[in-house]
Amino acid sequence: MQEKSLGYRIGRVLIFLVLFILAVSFVYPILFMFINSLKTLKEYYYSPFTLPDLSNLQWSNFGNMISQFKILGLLKNSFIVSFFTVVGLIGLGTLASYAFAKIKFPGSRGLYLAFLVTLFVPAQVTMIPMYINFAKIGLVNNWLGVVIANWAMFLPETIMLMTANFKGIPDEIIEAATIDGCGFFGRLWNVVIPMGWPAISLTIIFFFINSWNDLFTPMIMLKSMDKRTVMVALNSLVGQFTGNPPYQFAGLVLAALPALLVYIFLQKSIVNGMSMGAIK
Amino acid sequence: MSKKGAFGALSPQELKKAKIAYLCVLPALLVLVLVRAYPIIVVFLKSFTNWDGLFANDFVGLDNYKLLFGSGMFWNLFRNNMYLLLSVPLQVIIGLIVAVLLYEHVPGWKAFRAIYYVPQIISLVILGYLFKTMFGLEGPLNQVLRSAGLENLAVDWLLNRETALPVMVFCVTWYSIGWQTIVILGGMSSIDTSVFEAARLDGANFWQRTFKIVLPMIVSIITYCVVMAVIWTFTSLFPLIYSMTDGGPGFETMTLDYFIYNKAFQRGNQLGYACSASVVLLIIVLIITAIEMRISDAAEEKWG
Amino acid sequence: MKKVLSIVLAVAMVLGLCLVGTGCAKKEEEKKLTIWINGNDSYIAPAEQEKSQDQWYISQAIKRFEEANPGVKVELIVQADTEAAHQQFKADALANTAPDIANLWTGQNIYALEDVLLDITSMVPQSDKDNISGWDAVTSPKTGAILGYPTADNQVCYFLYNRQIINDCGLDFDNNPPKTTEEFDAAMQIIKDKGYQPLAQDEGFPWFGCYIGAYWWVSCSTYPTIISDCEGTTKFVDDEGLKKAYSYYKSTFDNGYLNADALTCADSFNKFCQGKVAMMPQESSVVQDAEAALGAENVGLLMPPDLPGSVITGKTIGGPGQCFVISKQTKNPELALKFVQFMDSKDEMLNFLKVQPKVPTRKDITAADLGYAAGSNQAKLVEMSANTIYWVDNSLYPSVSGDFYALLPSVLAGKMTVEEFAAQLDTDVANAK
Repeated sequence: MQEKSLGYRIGRVLIFLVLFILAVSFVYPILFMFINSLKTLKEYYYSPFTLPDLSNLQWSNFGNMISQFKILGLLKNSFIVSFFTVVGLIGLGTLASYAFAKIKFPGSRGLYLAFLVTLFVPAQVTMIPMYINFAKIGLVNNWLGVVIANWAMFLPETIMLMTANFKGIPDEIIEAATIDGCGFFGRLWNVVIPMGWPAISLTIIFFFINSWNDLFTPMIMLKSMDKRTVMVALNSLVGQFTGNPPYQFAGLVLAALPALLVYIFLQKSIVNGMSMGAIK
Repeated sequence: MSKKGAFGALSPQELKKAKIAYLCVLPALLVLVLVRAYPIIVVFLKSFTNWDGLFANDFVGLDNYKLLFGSGMFWNLFRNNMYLLLSVPLQVIIGLIVAVLLYEHVPGWKAFRAIYYVPQIISLVILGYLFKTMFGLEGPLNQVLRSAGLENLAVDWLLNRETALPVMVFCVTWYSIGWQTIVILGGMSSIDTSVFEAARLDGANFWQRTFKIVLPMIVSIITYCVVMAVIWTFTSLFPLIYSMTDGGPGFETMTLDYFIYNKAFQRGNQLGYACSASVVLLIIVLIITAIEMRISDAAEEKWG
Repeated sequence: MKKVLSIVLAVAMVLGLCLVGTGCAKKEEEKKLTIWINGNDSYIAPAEQEKSQDQWYISQAIKRFEEANPGVKVELIVQADTEAAHQQFKADALANTAPDIANLWTGQNIYALEDVLLDITSMVPQSDKDNISGWDAVTSPKTGAILGYPTADNQVCYFLYNRQIINDCGLDFDNNPPKTTEEFDAAMQIIKDKGYQPLAQDEGFPWFGCYIGAYWWVSCSTYPTIISDCEGTTKFVDDEGLKKAYSYYKSTFDNGYLNADALTCADSFNKFCQGKVAMMPQESSVVQDAEAALGAENVGLLMPPDLPGSVITGKTIGGPGQCFVISKQTKNPELALKFVQFMDSKDEMLNFLKVQPKVPTRKDITAADLGYAAGSNQAKLVEMSANTIYWVDNSLYPSVSGDFYALLPSVLAGKMTVEEFAAQLDTDVANAK
């Protein structure tokens, strides 16, 4: 193992360099926001691309975000919406995907395609009919309304992802579980979820972050000031020529943290997905 | 095939299985029918009216469609959509390359993997604003070009379709690489590592490992990536366009989905017209996806 | 991991039930008003948004109203996207969940909602009609019904200029402002030769075209022509005023007076605040910000110059761009009206102007009441507001306004001639029929 050829080493160094340069370009936007969140408004207008005046860092932007803008309460609202969105997606998605991937039943392909068709319509279009329906049954200005709208928006993609992944689970393992005395839910719990974990954790990552960052649905569905999600509240900080971008950047940095954390914790399990559960 | 025929052919055991399958699918189906399918039907019906969002709701036949196709607007929008689709092969190929490179587990690869997803965590509106500044007439890119003596290349990138669309393709690709990488990496994680390690110990080089082991095992995930990228390009570029060009100047960089928003929400009253554009968009994406699925089925047959 | 997942799922289910429970819980009956306020450019100043919500002017006004009317609860809802709020109002009206009061844009924006707005014609007292300006902006031309109250902010358009640059160029806009477009061109040429950018604006959305460009149009063509163009009785292509106004508008770009990246940039106001730009077409809400950046003594206001052959001269565009409307569905129309009148009362408007020094819509508030120093920009705005013609873009019919906004940038970019632009507006009128 120790003896590596020179070519191999050079190859590794090159790979590292390529990956490193890419990483720099990807980390830049968040750096940009962070750097500018520490500037005064005037500093930002004059030089958005330079470092802030180190002797006069505007940490107060962050302080005000917490004490005045009460961003923690807003983060809580976003969390509620994103959390239930993801929980529902896993529940609904796992069930349906299992059926599509592992059970042969009449109309399976047709139903599957029908699910996917709903992907193709932009949210903007169906919003008004949906909104009117939701208003009639009290789902407007209710977190549950946003959650259900998110389910509908993300389910086709979830099912696509999970079905593709579940198809890769060998039938023998499921049969073995049945022989071991597992019922339907037992099979889901002991085989499908662990073996489909890469897809499930991707679902959590994607749609937690998607619903966290979503502006359109919550902006229309949530009205009370105390129910708004963090992105909606931050968005209302900008005007055409007015507003305070550094202050807003401070908010955006704070708002990006939870999404980043979810990602960092879960991305490990995508790759480690196989090392746990049934296969060992 | 009639339902009776289909069920008639099933053995009692298969019938029981089918029942379970329907029960599994039912909850998801309910959500989708209520929240997505029903509004789509409404949209389809409204596309034949002069609906203004309120009570104006008269049947106008195919007028909206005639306007869309007759005014040349459709081709203008569709051309922009097709142009932006160029980012799909770019992002999937680059995403694949990056995933393969990451799979080599060079030092720091876990950190890189985490960083690549960062753009997806930041709102596209902010990224669009950053891109807009980067590619501005006085922006950093042009400053670099000027100082390199390439004065002629320092143009107002977003002013014309010919330069604005390539810039947008670049931005979309850059934004999506992280997503593609993560999904492909997720697919690669279902490759049995022992097979991979065995090949490595057997002296299979990088190219052999990639083409003989990795790629064939992730054909289905790549299909998924392509399909999602196409759909995403058609339906979800809204925030990026919103903050980069607002579809302008004029309709230079406007796409079908942005046009729908423009007509339905931006002080437009032409919701019926917007509905007809949605129906057309739906049909286009369905056709493209159907073709794509054919190709990927063939691919899976061959390598999968 | 499985254990964690199962705990998470269990907790989620319980919380989910609670969520549904709270969603369905009946609220106790009390007299309640729901009110939409625009997130920006209205009663909430950008600076206020950095304070906690209970310190905002609007929250305190609501508190004062609630104290004066025991048993009444006012719920504030901020609409972040004002543009979308108009469509949102439609959806809410159809679902029977419209707010009692909404802060929307005036003119055609609310005329399109006439079917779902309360006609308050008979409820507006004469004293309000006399003391508040801008009733034209809220009166439906079709039925003559008054659909709302103008809000406190009486906007005015003008050129914001950097006095330092202007003086540096040997010009004196305070005592000798350019009155005609020829003089204006001459001044801009001097500024350009001196190495400054004469004009800057973000024209991706045609602000300049809607502010001063539209003033040039209406001052040549006058309103009756523009309205009959919209109705199709006359044609935009035959409207010489339109062609003259927007040809001149385009010439500012072609001559390099307007910034070269006008169509793609988003930072021209920043450049003005950095002192890189001599002038900027603007409306009243930004004076404070410009003064903060450059110092009040370096910021001046210039009325638009007049095109040769204008019918109207020496005026500018402006007027109340926003209003309060009351929904037809409100259960408490009198109370809703009372709130709107409270907001437009002299005391309340004065309270508002302390937070955002703008031009009030009330005529019985004098510059002295406001404490604006003589000669200050604020005092000058008040003066200018007496000379405004109502917003042209708010007056264009919905069938036309979409392409008006979308295609003016194409005219500037040279993708389409002014004639083609006018012809497209005519096509829109024809298609709407």
